[in-house]
Amino acid sequence: MSTIVETIREEIISGNVEESIRAVKEALQRKIPPEKILNDGLLLAMERVGSRFQEGEIFIPDVFFSARAMHESMDILRPLLAPSQSTGAGCVVIGTVLGDIHDIGKRLVGTMLEGAGFTVVDLGVEVSPDAFVKAVTEYQPHILAMASLLTTTMTNMGVTIEALTKAGLRDKVKVLIGGAPVTRGFAEEIGADGYGSDASTGVDAAKALVRKLADE
Amino acid sequence: MKEAHVEKSMRVNVEGTTQFRVLSKHQVEEIVSSAMEILERVGVQVNDEAPVKMLEERGARIEGKTLVRIPSSLVQAALQSAPSRIVLANRDGERNLVLEKNRIYFGTGSDCPNVIDPYTDALRPCLFDDVLRVSKVVDALDHIDFFMSLGLVSDVPRMTYDRHQFLAMAANTTKPLIITCVDGTGLSDQYQMACLIVGGEEKFQANPYFAVYAEPSSPLMHSKEALEKLTFAAERRIPLIYTPCPSAGATAPVTMAGILSQGLAETFSGLVISQLKREGAPFIMGGVHTVLDMRTATYSYGAPELSLLSACMTDISKTLNLPMFSTGGCSDAKVLDEQAASEAAVSLLTAGLSGANLIHDIGFLESGLLGSLDMLVLCDEVISMVKRILRGIRVTGDTLAVDVVAKVGPGGHFIGEDHTRRYLKAEHWLPRLMDRTNREAWERGEAKTLSRRVRERVIDILEHHDPPPLEKRLLSELEMVVAQADERYGVK
Repeated sequence: MSTIVETIREEIISGNVEESIRAVKEALQRKIPPEKILNDGLLLAMERVGSRFQEGEIFIPDVFFSARAMHESMDILRPLLAPSQSTGAGCVVIGTVLGDIHDIGKRLVGTMLEGAGFTVVDLGVEVSPDAFVKAVTEYQPHILAMASLLTTTMTNMGVTIEALTKAGLRDKVKVLIGGAPVTRGFAEEIGADGYGSDASTGVDAAKALVRKLADE
Repeated sequence: MKEAHVEKSMRVNVEGTTQFRVLSKHQVEEIVSSAMEILERVGVQVNDEAPVKMLEERGARIEGKTLVRIPSSLVQAALQSAPSRIVLANRDGERNLVLEKNRIYFGTGSDCPNVIDPYTDALRPCLFDDVLRVSKVVDALDHIDFFMSLGLVSDVPRMTYDRHQFLAMAANTTKPLIITCVDGTGLSDQYQMACLIVGGEEKFQANPYFAVYAEPSSPLMHSKEALEKLTFAAERRIPLIYTPCPSAGATAPVTMAGILSQGLAETFSGLVISQLKREGAPFIMGGVHTVLDMRTATYSYGAPELSLLSACMTDISKTLNLPMFSTGGCSDAKVLDEQAASEAAVSLLTAGLSGANLIHDIGFLESGLLGSLDMLVLCDEVISMVKRILRGIRVTGDTLAVDVVAKVGPGGHFIGEDHTRRYLKAEHWLPRLMDRTNREAWERGEAKTLSRRVRERVIDILEHHDPPPLEKRLLSELEMVVAQADERYGVK
């Protein structure tokens, strides 16, 4: 019984997208509960991917492929899961702030968040404060994540937080920020809830924020 | 953290790799010609009767008892008969080091009197157990290919230190050795020990487990001890490294071309004696040619001239078709600091680029007085970086990757491409000790400097590396040879 779940884990850890999907489908055919596939297969696999990455044994592209395998497997499971579980670890709306067209770092964080079981809505680049507010209203995410790679556009993170407050949404969502010039000090200054110095600490911060939300 | 890419054997200055040379063909000819002129006009002092007699019989001109002027025809004949290719094997007989044009290998230096204790940081004389430690660290490092003792064992009888040292070297690593010896008898005893290890003289002859290091005395002298080693090695076909160590401005001319010419004359005269003793005897040329620092009278191990001259000698060795023993990874600094790291990086890159076969003295600090495990471990990382540069780039349809660029297009990214995963490990060098984390992560890890990370790796290897042991019975046979030598010198 457990071997197919092990196979799912192995395929996701190896970043084999097609094989992961095939294994998930086979597990479902064998009547393994979707919750078990999610928890013991997908999520456990990504936990191991995370720790192997931290240890320096695997590299960013490996994590990316594993995250993709996880994400596409999740697409199969989602309709079969209870609504409380269908967003997995939580929902994140993410985007690069107005005036900034840098995409890759933000995409990497998005992919790693998906890999950690989050549902991610990527708004792309040059996202205006209004567009962030609109997305928070529409998707009601646990977390709003903003990226900026330029010291000149960083300030738009603060502007967006003010816009959330004006729209009466500030206490409905946690704000997570990151990007090369961003520091913990800056995050505190503009009143963000969390900060990630790189993609993997960003994911850790997102998990911590979701736990905090549950406690509140 | 594991390394992504480790070469077993590397050939440089060939198609696809980075190209480098210092001397033009014409400059090499000029230096070779000057060396021959020195031998014909000035001659060398040969401080042993038998080789002088042998040289005289073959046409050398003798003045007094020891001054020998060697005609160029003898040098040319010696260059003809010496092998252009020498193989060294490890303790298990595996032929790991192929010394021929442009194949590079890295290793330690030998016989530093002092060490810094990795646990207490105390500076103290090197003991038997310290060489055991070096042996273990050498065994663990991916980019250290051969082993010289690094330390000079001082807690054993002085006249037999070399046999004790050999025991410590062979005990904790299987890597090929380069040994030093007190004199001909010291070499003979170590040869006997090596034959015990590899299973007999025939096996040693087929797959030599060590090369022996000996040196002439600059300017232009061969000591009795050096000649004993040279002739014993030639008789038994033990690979011999004969390496002048002149200092520019003191024991050799101040000019780079001048020190090269004189050093080469010393090498040529050693080569002639070895080939007269036995045609085809394996002879490795080399030398630590460097400057005497004219402020401190230090024979400098960190001088850029050392690297430049080593690269020149390597160029010459390739014209002569002789294997080359070169130098790098050494410094005049007193601890592993910024000076040590800079001098190591410059010398290892230059020696690697030059394509020298055996690049030694890795781990030397304090101008050769201090054998440092820290320096050794740092150099392992530097060599790994150097090898990435030497490997050059592969240019093929698939590595030019136009199809991948077309697939990703403007504004996309390459992280999720199979092409990226497929080529990552072959194309990107990944550090083990060099830190590329962001400041927050670095501070989270206690803001360790490179020298702290290096020391932690030293300790980790000492605590956790498990080298393949020597058989107990074999070990006691070796100890017997050492004890007999001690007895002969009347010491216990």
